[in-house]
Amino acid sequence: MRELTEPPGREEGAPTPTYYERPLLKPPHWGWSVTTYLFTGGIMGGLGLIQLLADRHDEDERKLRRTARITSFLLAAANPALLISHLGRPERFLNMLRIMKFKSPMSLGVWGLVFYSGAAGGNVVRELANSGVVPRWLRFFAPGILTPAQALLGAFTAGYTGVLLSATANPFWSSGKRHIPAASVASGLSSACALSTLLSVLEGNGRVTHKIERLELVAATAELAILAHFERHAGNYGTPFFTGARGKRMRTYTIQAGILAPMALNLLGMLPLPKPVDATRSVIASVLTLVGGYIFRESLIEAGKLSARDPRAAFVQPT
Amino acid sequence: MATGFFTDTTLCIGCKACEVACKQWNELPSDGFDFTGDSYDNTSELSGTTWRHVAFVEQMSVDDGGLRDRWLMSSDVCKHCTNAGCLEACPTGAIIRNEFDSVFIQPDICNGCGYCVVSCPFGVVDMIEKFDPEGVRYNLASLVEDRREEHKTALQGNGGVAGKCTLCYDRQKLGFVPACAKACPTDSIQFGDVEELRARARKRVETLTERGMQAQLYGADDIGGGVGPLNAFFLLTDRPEAYNLPAQPVLPSTRQPDGYAAAAVAVLGLAVAGWMIFRNA
Repeated sequence: MRELTEPPGREEGAPTPTYYERPLLKPPHWGWSVTTYLFTGGIMGGLGLIQLLADRHDEDERKLRRTARITSFLLAAANPALLISHLGRPERFLNMLRIMKFKSPMSLGVWGLVFYSGAAGGNVVRELANSGVVPRWLRFFAPGILTPAQALLGAFTAGYTGVLLSATANPFWSSGKRHIPAASVASGLSSACALSTLLSVLEGNGRVTHKIERLELVAATAELAILAHFERHAGNYGTPFFTGARGKRMRTYTIQAGILAPMALNLLGMLPLPKPVDATRSVIASVLTLVGGYIFRESLIEAGKLSARDPRAAFVQPT
Repeated sequence: MATGFFTDTTLCIGCKACEVACKQWNELPSDGFDFTGDSYDNTSELSGTTWRHVAFVEQMSVDDGGLRDRWLMSSDVCKHCTNAGCLEACPTGAIIRNEFDSVFIQPDICNGCGYCVVSCPFGVVDMIEKFDPEGVRYNLASLVEDRREEHKTALQGNGGVAGKCTLCYDRQKLGFVPACAKACPTDSIQFGDVEELRARARKRVETLTERGMQAQLYGADDIGGGVGPLNAFFLLTDRPEAYNLPAQPVLPSTRQPDGYAAAAVAVLGLAVAGWMIFRNA
């Protein structure tokens, strides 16, 4: 495009004009159900990895694997309801399954969810057959390959939600084209670890929690590092997420209460604590991580809404 | 044949006949009676049920030379991009490219997921609210009891789906010019074969430059960011931002490889960490 001289009323080098400070883009019309899906979808994906890791032959791990499988299947069954409820035309949900489109993260994600449900369902059948709840011959329909398959599909479902946001025209989301997908994976896994810890403590399988908590510690550290780098990388595009009332909420609930506090509590867990104290510590750390994980997803969506209504942010869009 | 619009903003007189013709032909509901105070623009933006929007840009200043002023008017519309973000994002295949090379939302396929809304780099597509049987927000016809049934089946009755300019797909099929171009009294909106329109637009810029005016084309050639040329392009006399058009739009799907790669790296790192933690009894 050729360079134009400035029109009347605008000095050379004046700030970019806006159209009556009106936003250029439309905000997402997504509400709590999408936020919740991003959160539970991340947990579901993380549980896929945990059920693979806990595929060992000691009683504590077997219990953990069983819990992870049953929980992930329940989430896989509940998540479509969340997705369908946010549609403008819920009765047309099945239209999602009339094509598979590699260019659309939404389309791939729906198919990922379908296949994940299949793998998770198979693994639950395997668990139930092993413990004699259903006839043993049903194991025929649940081959061992479903264990790594569920882990792979879980990794995809945890990661695609990040790509779903970052591969849009939204200035804030698209400024995190690498950070949001990576942080989605890390947050999904740390939340999955927290839920597994919580359920293990509740079933009296407290010994295994130390392993999960160490994994959670790694995931939380990764999440913290990604968010810190994201803040510097995003610059002005990141203001709706990192500053103001929204930023304060994100910092308090996600970074301080949801990452730093559980990290400290999980480090404390490496000391020899009396059993009841240790169980209480695990429960508190897990609940904090889960709350932080939810607020992280909520902040992503809400910051996206703010960013879309910024009259200048979308003039030059992040590449 | 690829058809499109050439919107020559130097010819626009701000009569909004395009907005009215579009609403009438497509049976779209009114925007209500809002007075924004932004010049003569009470439409404000394109939406799911507003497919033409006339922008009014007032530029005035008083200096030694006296009053200098300029009043720019421009009828905005869906750009019908060569590589359309909305079309790529649509998970149902409701958004297609039709035989006229226009980007078209099939209202009976769309399930209202809203992903196209956030995937348009120009902020064109939006959701259409669910049909309101009381007809409060809708056009006069839907207030007439006898016509309500009929209007439930019309496009606006299909609320809960995404909406945008169809480039008058139905009219084009019948060999008619789109309603807005037909109604435009100054030929500011020109409809036709895109290649022909581009040649005409370049000539128009030359003519205007000869006359000492500044003019540039927006979207006649590749606009960058992977979006490609626009089938509905514009002749502007100021920077695109003044008209609320992005100076550097980017096709959202170009970010996907980086996104998936970053997620894969995170998965790999965490899986290795997990394996090392769980390996030791």
